[in-house]
Amino acid sequence: MSEPDASPQAQFSLATEALAGRVLGALTGTQGPLPPTGPPAAGAPGDVKAYLAAVRVLGPDLYAPALLRGTPPDPADTEAVTEAFRVFPPSPADPPETVRRDRATARLHLGLGGEPLPVPLAPTAAEPGLRPAAGHALPPWRAWSAHLAPLSALALPGADDTLQAEATRHSRALALGTTRALLRRDHPTAARLARWLALTERRGAVPALDTEAVLTHIDLFGGGSVRARLDTAVARLLLVTAPRHRRPDDTGAAGHQERPPA
Amino acid sequence: MTHEPPGTPSVRTVAAQVAAAALGWLHRNRHHGALPAGTTAELADPDGVYKPLGESALAGSLVLREGLASTADLAAARELVAFAWTQLGEGNLLYERQLRYMTMTDPLEVYTHFARAGYRHRRLHTLLTHLHGLTSLRGAEQMPNRRLAVANAARVARVDHALDWPALTRATWLGHTPEPWALDWMTAYSVTHTVFHLTDWGARPDGLPDELQDYLRTWLPVWIDVWREIQEWDLVAELLIVDACLAEPRCDPEDWALLAAVQREDGLLARDGRPVSEDEAQAFREHHHTTVVAAVAGTLVASRFRGTSAAA
Repeated sequence: MSEPDASPQAQFSLATEALAGRVLGALTGTQGPLPPTGPPAAGAPGDVKAYLAAVRVLGPDLYAPALLRGTPPDPADTEAVTEAFRVFPPSPADPPETVRRDRATARLHLGLGGEPLPVPLAPTAAEPGLRPAAGHALPPWRAWSAHLAPLSALALPGADDTLQAEATRHSRALALGTTRALLRRDHPTAARLARWLALTERRGAVPALDTEAVLTHIDLFGGGSVRARLDTAVARLLLVTAPRHRRPDDTGAAGHQERPPA
Repeated sequence: MTHEPPGTPSVRTVAAQVAAAALGWLHRNRHHGALPAGTTAELADPDGVYKPLGESALAGSLVLREGLASTADLAAARELVAFAWTQLGEGNLLYERQLRYMTMTDPLEVYTHFARAGYRHRRLHTLLTHLHGLTSLRGAEQMPNRRLAVANAARVARVDHALDWPALTRATWLGHTPEPWALDWMTAYSVTHTVFHLTDWGARPDGLPDELQDYLRTWLPVWIDVWREIQEWDLVAELLIVDACLAEPRCDPEDWALLAAVQREDGLLARDGRPVSEDEAQAFREHHHTTVVAAVAGTLVASRFRGTSAAA
């Protein structure tokens, strides 16, 4: 039997998957085999640190059950968020996407009864991370998809209105990016982008793809990554509240083509 | 007519260069495509030489149809078509094959490229006119995009009878405007050929219904991107033909710069990213099709800029 990999990175990956699994269970109403609540027991400091790092990374997703299902946040989780920001405080060197994610976490945390976090609640500069960095060689649809995929945790109601408005304006680019990811069988990226697609649909964008079919495809073909399933579960709940759009079958017209917003 | 924005690399020039180089390679290497002595209409290996002869004729006929190549390249195109016609016994092999196999469609599909270039085989023409008037042919069990190939071949050769183009179109994968992420390698070729035949290789962009134009304009960039990444140059070049067949082609300079960079100096375009054989005959067998595709794609794109300055 091989020794378990106890590197900090491995512990962090395990903790992130475990925590994502807990959130997924809360979203879907299923009881998974994961710890029901809170951080691991004291006495395993490596595990606790990995858990807190996972809390920092999942950030806004911890509040997905509260935002999408109305499930009150578990006080242990709320405390864990506070603790995670104490142990891993934001750094001026954080990349723009981390800054946006932290700000969203802080806003949601405060709005759902948590203590203020050491994060500015308003942008301190000109919206870092709002748009893809200039000067890259990618076509715009790829640049937008590459930019937003890592920010999929911000595709939650109330997480980042400015970014979501921008994403909605680029819904077509996200559909192209989702298609590219699916064709490349990069299902984790497809799940993140499909979540954005669902969010933009909820905000009124006319879908260039049948997002529900995309989500089902990812669930069936995606290989079962917990974080990907969390993205698709969030996306499904976002779609529940999306305005109804005319489906191709409603008119007999051609299906998956871009149409101007209604 | 398509216009290039000022200050960008000239897609027209790059495409014309790709086409000229590919045509030159096809012309110089045409002897590798000669039918073996004693070949009869039965054709033990139709894909070996017979089909490539037809594809060379396709490339030559489209260069001649568009008429934008240099005088030398137009002459090379004429010689390429003439070489293939001679190999086919000036159409006699096609005629005998059609007589031998009444329901086969490849004699027409090969003949049509010669017909486009002004050739005519009187007895074959009469035979095809008869066969394409039969209910049997309309009831043939064929892939929808193959049915379109036959329909367009009949249209170009002027042996067609009351074809229902909308019904033929709807029956294809593309005609359903399916989920663009459900495309696979084989289906992608179905899409390219559906477009080739509906538009008669770019001569009739309006042969593609508006909803299919919109669909392709939306999703082609993704498909080209994905197959570029894995260096499937044959499919990439076919997708660039599809783009050139649209009413409003994209003609992405980056795609064309890449294709030009991948094309060998002698004009051969490799079918994929694997090394090309040093053996000329083997290289001809393996990369003839893709080089034909390069000649066609470059010719059609250059033609879409017809009337604009080459230096634009």
